[in-house]
Amino acid sequence: MDRRYFLAAVTAAAAASATSVLADDDRKTSKPTSAATPAGTVVKARVIVIGGGMAGATVAKYLRLWGDAVEVTLIERMPTYTSNIMSSLVLTGQRTMSSLSFKYDALRSKYGVTVVFGDVVAVDPITAKVTLADKTVLTADRIVMAPGIEFDTVPGLGTSDKMPHAWKAGTQTTLLANQLKAMRSGQNMVLTIPLAPYRCPPGPYERACLIADWLKTHKPGSKLIVLDANPDFVTEKDNFTNAFLGLHGSVIEYHNNAGVQSVDPANMTVYAAGGLTVTGAVVNMIPRQRAGGLIAATGLNNATKLAGDTAFRFAGVDVLSYASTQPGAGKVHIIGDSSATTQPKAGHIANQEAKVCADAISRILAGGSPDPAPVTNSACFSTITATQASWLHAIFQYDSVSHSMLSVAAATGASAGWDKDSFEDMNKWFGALMTDSFA
Amino acid sequence: MNPKNHRERLVVVGSLLLVGASLAAQAQTPPPGRLLASNCFQCHGTNGKGPGFDKLAGKSANEIYKDLKEFQSGKEGTGLMAKHSMGYTDAQMRQLSQWLSTQR
Repeated sequence: MDRRYFLAAVTAAAAASATSVLADDDRKTSKPTSAATPAGTVVKARVIVIGGGMAGATVAKYLRLWGDAVEVTLIERMPTYTSNIMSSLVLTGQRTMSSLSFKYDALRSKYGVTVVFGDVVAVDPITAKVTLADKTVLTADRIVMAPGIEFDTVPGLGTSDKMPHAWKAGTQTTLLANQLKAMRSGQNMVLTIPLAPYRCPPGPYERACLIADWLKTHKPGSKLIVLDANPDFVTEKDNFTNAFLGLHGSVIEYHNNAGVQSVDPANMTVYAAGGLTVTGAVVNMIPRQRAGGLIAATGLNNATKLAGDTAFRFAGVDVLSYASTQPGAGKVHIIGDSSATTQPKAGHIANQEAKVCADAISRILAGGSPDPAPVTNSACFSTITATQASWLHAIFQYDSVSHSMLSVAAATGASAGWDKDSFEDMNKWFGALMTDSFA
Repeated sequence: MNPKNHRERLVVVGSLLLVGASLAAQAQTPPPGRLLASNCFQCHGTNGKGPGFDKLAGKSANEIYKDLKEFQSGKEGTGLMAKHSMGYTDAQMRQLSQWLSTQR
């Protein structure tokens, strides 16, 4: 079976939902972009990447960019990626959904990544086998899992779409944007912030600022009630305190220690800790988060419990290579928001975790060891108004004593306030980051 | 020949011997500084070649190192790059500058 036939079989199987099993001896040598290499010369190592978000796309690209010794198959459910970064600007009508859409074409054509659109239903972490919904089985030397996050069930919400999270950009974003547009002046909106750790620590606060600014001109008299499950601003405290209490003080009503206990979508009511009951014409309900379902299904959730949890939420990893810390599962690496590290769950640093992981896998497959002193960085911008932004930054260095990434104090912090220049920088950063990840 | 030049020449000869001894292993070992320098790519483009903020490819190692030191000294203000430059050791800055200088 040559490589072309293997690909055709995968495609046909996906199309017809037929059964196709690929055994180890189906491994071939040619690059996915070229069938010219004669079969049976050099057997390349094979890496399967599950999930084509910021982390998954970047690791697939860099595994190929940094060496031709590895065949990479990226498995993703959706034909395009919708960026969560910048998606709050869709709510205020400043960006379109299509401006957040990214394709996998460049990963294929420029880097020779094999992209398979399908749904992974099982991962065997010991034998490194991946089973798709159509029963196709793929084998690899290493598996990289980047399935992002999943939301906890909100008591009372059921299947109602009246309280969108809009925390995975897509139809939920459009839904919330339409609800906001339809809201009458003088009516209130509620935004809930889950207990940390969640995706994009400054994200809910920046969304609150952006919407508050928008309400002032588009819905005069309306208020934004923020229910924060955390005891205080999770990050960028100075800027968000000044923005919430100062600049947007007439619009934002902020409650800390106000975790959501249940909701009643029929009456658009939210019941929060401390006996707090609030209603809103629009409710942006951002639930608690855990690793994408495949992590728990594979038995790799072994880190992070919040009060009352019976199961761990995220995947523990060795941050030198992002290999799972679950005994026997060392061939599986977990990057991005699904992993439990000292680093934030966010797209920019997921891109860097992916590079560390790609470098480590390349070294390991060549018989070596990961770089003993990796460095990562996190950077992002927060919209404080429709035209002004702040920034937040950190660098992490590996600490061999705690075996974790420690933030460098002098390199960690936010801008002193916000301005128009940073808003422009934000747009430039977004373009650069997405190109580095997808093109 | 001064002692410094002599040492450099010995290093070069040593490297050549290494290459000769194990070409395959050499090809698979990532060049030093590449992973460190990849921290620049999110904002300056893959391999420092854009799109994004200032292009880094095409600059000499000294230029990049000097720029980072200026950001670190505060001469360039209190922007994001001033903060970023505080995160690396001097050796790391030299190493990533050296690797970036190989990009044209």
